[in-house]
Formats: sequence, C-alpha cells, structure tokens
Amino acid sequence: MTTPPTGFLDEADLHAFVDGILDPDQRRRVEEHLSQHPEDAALVESWQRQNAAIRAVYEPILREIPAPSLRSAAAQVSASSGAIESGATHWGRPGVLPRVRRREDILAQQRRQAIFASALALLAVAAVAALATFIFAGRSEHRPLAATNSPQGYVARAGLTYATYVSDQHPVEIDASRLEELSSWLKARVGFYKVPDLSQQGMRLIGGRVAPGVAAPAGFLIYERADGGRIGLYFERSVATISQQASKSGSGVTAIEWRTADFAFVLIGPLALDLMQVAAEKAAAQIIGASQP
Amino acid sequence: MSNYADILAELSQATPVFRRYARALGAGVGLVVADGLVHSALQGLGARLRAREVTPNDAEAARIEAYKAITLLAAHKYQAASGPGPRHPPIVHGLAALDFTDRAILLLVSLEGFRYATAADIAGISREAVFMRLQRARAALANWTANSSGVAQVSAIRSTAHLRVVK
Repeated sequence: MTTPPTGFLDEADLHAFVDGILDPDQRRRVEEHLSQHPEDAALVESWQRQNAAIRAVYEPILREIPAPSLRSAAAQVSASSGAIESGATHWGRPGVLPRVRRREDILAQQRRQAIFASALALLAVAAVAALATFIFAGRSEHRPLAATNSPQGYVARAGLTYATYVSDQHPVEIDASRLEELSSWLKARVGFYKVPDLSQQGMRLIGGRVAPGVAAPAGFLIYERADGGRIGLYFERSVATISQQASKSGSGVTAIEWRTADFAFVLIGPLALDLMQVAAEKAAAQIIGASQP
Repeated sequence: MSNYADILAELSQATPVFRRYARALGAGVGLVVADGLVHSALQGLGARLRAREVTPNDAEAARIEAYKAITLLAAHKYQAASGPGPRHPPIVHGLAALDFTDRAILLLVSLEGFRYATAADIAGISREAVFMRLQRARAALANWTANSSGVAQVSAIRSTAHLRVVK
C-alpha cells in the first residue's frame, strides 16, 4: 500500500492493518495509534470480527472433498468438450439449473454438444433398455447395469445399489414409519443419520438400508413418487483417492453427486435433470443444516 | 507460460478454495448451484487456455484467472439464485445484503487473502475502487449487524462513513 505521510494515519491504514498487508514499521505505527485511540481500536476490532465470522462460516468448506468431475473440470474441455449436461443422463456432475442459464450460454452449449448428441442418444437408449430389462424381468438372471463398469466411484456404486434394490417390492430394511430407528441404525452402521425430507419435491420416503461401501458400509435411502418412480439417496464416507470412472457410467437414470460433511452423496433416479437438481439441492441443504452455508 | 499440465494440476488442487469462494460469493446459494458455477467457470477457463485466449505465466496467474471466471459467471448466474434462509448464520445474511461487487471485494480480501491490487484485477476495477468498495462493504456489514442485533455496532458504523485523518 502507499505509505502515508509520517505522523498521520487514515482509514486506509486501518483497513490495511486488518487485512494484514502492512510492513512491520507501518504495523507498529498503527498498533501504537490504536493503543491511544479506543474508538479506532473498536472500529478495527469490529472489522476483525467480521473477517473472523466470514471465515468461521466458509473455512469448513475446505475440508470437503470436491467431486472428481469438479476437480478435473478444466481438463474436461479437452476430453469431452463439455457434453455432460445434455439429456437426462447426468452422471457425477453437479450443474446449474436451466432457468438461470442465459440464452447465449444455451446456444453455445448446444453447438458444443452437437457432435456428441447422437452418441449420447444411443447410449441413453441402450441404457434405458437395459435398466427396463433388469427391473421388469427380474434381477436374478441379469447382471446389474452399473456393474458394466467396475464400481470404483461413488456414482457407480450408487448405480449398482439402485439397480439392485429399487425394483424390489420391499426395497428397504427399515421403513419410514420407524424413522427414529432408521436414523439410529444408519448412525451406528454408516456414521451418518440425517434423513432428508423431500416430500415437497413429491418424493415420499419409503425407508433405508445399508449397502456395501468401500471403506465402510454405505447408506441408501429410497423415496417414491406418486407415479411409482423411485429415487435413491446413496451416501458413503468419502475418501481422498477416488476414481473418476464414475462419470463414465451410462444408464437411463440421472445421478447427481456432491460432497459434504466428510460424506459423498449421490441422488439417483429416473427423473429429468432439473427435477433431480432441485431435489439434490433440497437434500444437500438439509444435510448441511445450520452448520454450513 | 507454464506447462499446460502444471496449470491443470494447480487448478485441480485449488478446487476447494474455488468452491469456498463460489459459496461465499453466493451468500446462501446452495452447494449444488455453487459447485455447478465452479465447474462451468473452470471448464470455460480450460477451453480458453487450450485456445490460448489466456496465457498465464505461472500456476498462480492461472489461479487468478479462475477467480476472474468465477466472479464473472457469478455476477450473472447468481442473480436468479435465492437468498439465504433462516438456517444461515447472520453474517451470511449480511453478505447477501451487499452489492455484488462490494461482496466480491470483501471476500477476495478478507476470505481469500488477496492484496488489493490482485482483488482489483480479479474484479476488473481500479485499485482505488477496491478500497472504496471494501470500506463500503465493511460499513454496510456493520450497519446490517447493528440493525439485526441492537446498538452494539453503532459507533463502528459512524466511524466508517468517510475517509478521515485520525492522527
């Protein structure tokens, strides 16, 4: 910062003091001034409190493990030209709601995605057919859809869990009528016990179960819509080394992955991307609770 | 310009701080939306790096380019975002009440630890404007706090209203 005239301090010096950008001499001079001027000392203290409050709210975000697709976002351009967000297949990539996109963004994205549209459509048709076959013909004779890839990523494991249990007549171990027991059980087995209420999104909780995880058991909550469609919320304690293959798994369902509170979450179901994003946002907000923004 | 792979590695490593900034800049916006914004910003930056529209000299310069992209994108996309809810701490409500650029400057300096010149570069304003916006943001935040919690901050608000010689 610019050195003020000797013997004078202005408000810029006080801000610079709070922001830690003064050299040692300037800092000593400000400290001396503050010791003699309680009003300015209180002012500086109030700014420091503001900074501390901001950091207290947002610093915990640094401890969250970002989704692999987010970590590699800059590189994805070279690999896939941003074709992830088309159609209803949305693996492992938290996105923005369509309504907040500007028209030019959409047009630009459409141009980028033109090359991939045919391939994605074929993939989606094949995936829907495979999932439908699995669901309606019985799972015992068919390989689970998500198992076409090794389930190394959270999305892949969520897909496998979804495909394994969702078509069962009674897919949960503890149903929603025993919510307290379900929470206690998940807390003991999985380490996480908040059960998001998605009823406002038309998703009624059926119940939950424990599923195989990698480092520890995973939790799997199942919701049902009025039309019979089932949505799963898979959660597992997140670890630092994560495969990026999850975003490559294709099927006719939408999956949205996010991380918070040392856990990875995947909301998965046969709904459109915008509906799933709203539901994921609601679930994430309830999971975070009042402790984080 | 640094090796392209080095820059990508730096951007990947810095993802947690980008998420923090995007979340704070949204002041109550949900994590899915904030992460989506970071994703879009980094993806766009990656494309511009490959097209050599931006040629950062080192990894730190690339990180600053990412902050620029996030700030620019947030200015548009957060307009439609909902504000903080009852579950958010008071400071988040105070941040949400600030002008967007004031909030960005305050966060770049107070949370992200940038010097004024770098914050000016990221926000696309002059260094002098940075100080004015920082001063205004802190005063407004103190004002908001005072209004929501009583009279404890009144003296601080009065003092921040103008640039003054105090000694």
